[in-house]
Amino acid sequence: MVGSSTWRGLLLAALSFPAAAADRIALCESCHGPGGNSTTANVPSIAGQPVTFLENQLIFFREGLRNAPVMVPLMKGVEDAEVTSLARHFNGQAPRPVKAASPDPAAVARGREIAGKRHCGQCHLPNYRGRDQIPALAGQRGDYLLDTMRSYRDGKRTGADTTMSEVLDGLSDDEIRALGAYLVSLP
Amino acid sequence: MNGKGYLLVLCVAAAAGCSHMKEPSSGAGAAPTISKAANPDLPQGVPGWKQGMSDAHATSPLAPHAGKMTVTPDNEIPLSSLKVPAGFKVEIWASGMPGVRHMVRGDSGTIWAGTRTIGRVYEIKDAGGKRTSRVLVDKLTQPNGVAIKDGKLYVVAIDKVLRYDGIEANPNVQPVDVTAAFNLPPKQHHAWKYVKFGPDGKLYIPFGAPCNICLPPPEYAQIRRYNPDGSGMEVVARGVRNSVGFDFHPRTKELWFTDNGRDWLNDDGPEEELNRVTKVGEFFGFPYCHANGIPDPDVSKPNACAGVTMPVTTLGAHAAALGMRFYTGSMFPAEYRDSILVARRGSWNRTKLNGYDVVRVTPSSDGRSAKVEPFLTGFMDASSNKFWGRPVDVLQMPDGAVLVADEQVGAIYRVSYGR
Repeated sequence: MVGSSTWRGLLLAALSFPAAAADRIALCESCHGPGGNSTTANVPSIAGQPVTFLENQLIFFREGLRNAPVMVPLMKGVEDAEVTSLARHFNGQAPRPVKAASPDPAAVARGREIAGKRHCGQCHLPNYRGRDQIPALAGQRGDYLLDTMRSYRDGKRTGADTTMSEVLDGLSDDEIRALGAYLVSLP
Repeated sequence: MNGKGYLLVLCVAAAAGCSHMKEPSSGAGAAPTISKAANPDLPQGVPGWKQGMSDAHATSPLAPHAGKMTVTPDNEIPLSSLKVPAGFKVEIWASGMPGVRHMVRGDSGTIWAGTRTIGRVYEIKDAGGKRTSRVLVDKLTQPNGVAIKDGKLYVVAIDKVLRYDGIEANPNVQPVDVTAAFNLPPKQHHAWKYVKFGPDGKLYIPFGAPCNICLPPPEYAQIRRYNPDGSGMEVVARGVRNSVGFDFHPRTKELWFTDNGRDWLNDDGPEEELNRVTKVGEFFGFPYCHANGIPDPDVSKPNACAGVTMPVTTLGAHAAALGMRFYTGSMFPAEYRDSILVARRGSWNRTKLNGYDVVRVTPSSDGRSAKVEPFLTGFMDASSNKFWGRPVDVLQMPDGAVLVADEQVGAIYRVSYGR
């Protein structure tokens, strides 16, 4: 049994960002890269992502709603206040996208056409910088984007709404690769 | 290639060969015309959420509003901005439950409430004027639906049906997974459920269209009822786009339900609907005919509204009319008897916010029309076009007070009268 003064201590520790969160930020950066700019395959960049998007994903991991073997145990039991602190911190970091190798122009053109038909830039915004619960796609790692789109299409991920599983429904792997090529070509 | 998508394409191409598309007296035999906006990717895609959005909308700033999945403390809930009619009072009854939505009450007074995004079902106990809550179950895909019969709690997620037998007496009872008996179709969009047992003892479950606007596959866009064990399925209402609220008339026992109109047509509509089912299998228009008889421009056919039951009343453009209950209590003034309280979660697909309130609907004595007026307002501010709360369901308590669940701040309010 933990005494109430201990609980109060834990609560204050959780609320007193940045000191309490410094260790955790370092832990985040050990995979997501300095300032949340990833240089590791399949690990997303989180720098500059919208606060609500980051909060949502951290809560999905905590609640066991998004399957990621590394993130789920890391987030277990993390309180809302620290989730919000972490989300605000990485939202405030400047994105420094790694310039991808020049994608195939034909795939980029095909991807642009698909994105236009599916109106991707309507929610993600025409510059693909995202807003609220909707992530920035411009500047994100291509390998991670492909994996994410396949997960939504295949019903392995739901997200804040069912929107993405519906928008991507019926796309072939080739079409998803084309969309990925287009998205990584964005400035 | 998605096999189901291909099947759908075949049906579109050969409409006469698809039995599910024969609606009674609604232009039978005429193959509908599907616009590119409603299905731009044929033959490789299937209808989707963005479809029905014209190119003119491609740069619209509108998008679904972000929910809030963190706890909102009571002192951050602007209770004083809520307004009720004279003599009524509103208070915070329970809070700290992110995403709280559809509610049901057990015989001993326990309340269970489903959610969507956060994947939890909350259990709320009223202990001497103070409420405590716990998470009954989590990690589910949008477990919006909760219903109770004979002490058995049913939790219905997009892809799962769980039954907790005798849960009020035994709070630690493990659920029985009865998913297989209900044969839930696979698509996720509009597949969160509002569920309730009818006066006939059957479990009513809506199956929304898996799109904004499309010609839906045969197992969608309908309300079904089942025996409690999942057997004996019947389609009670068809042509229902996305119903997330219904109740049974206290005297006629008829099913009345709310239905959300399509998006991306325009700011003014088509409006949401309040419908009344007078015969099993009745057709309510989707995708051909909306609201009070608006033919759809994207899935069109001649005489689109022929054979379609019109709504009792419309409930506002994009206002998201969801949970609803007939008022049968004695606490409110007598004229509230048999009125319907409808929670309107509020619009996203509209330039100016609409809804974000609970309205009182008073049906005419013949049940063919109704008057709609504000009941609980103040969740949004029209001048700044901002909102802070989103009411999604209402529940009458034994004393006649009414609970209202607010998904955005994770709180339940109690609305009472007099005393």
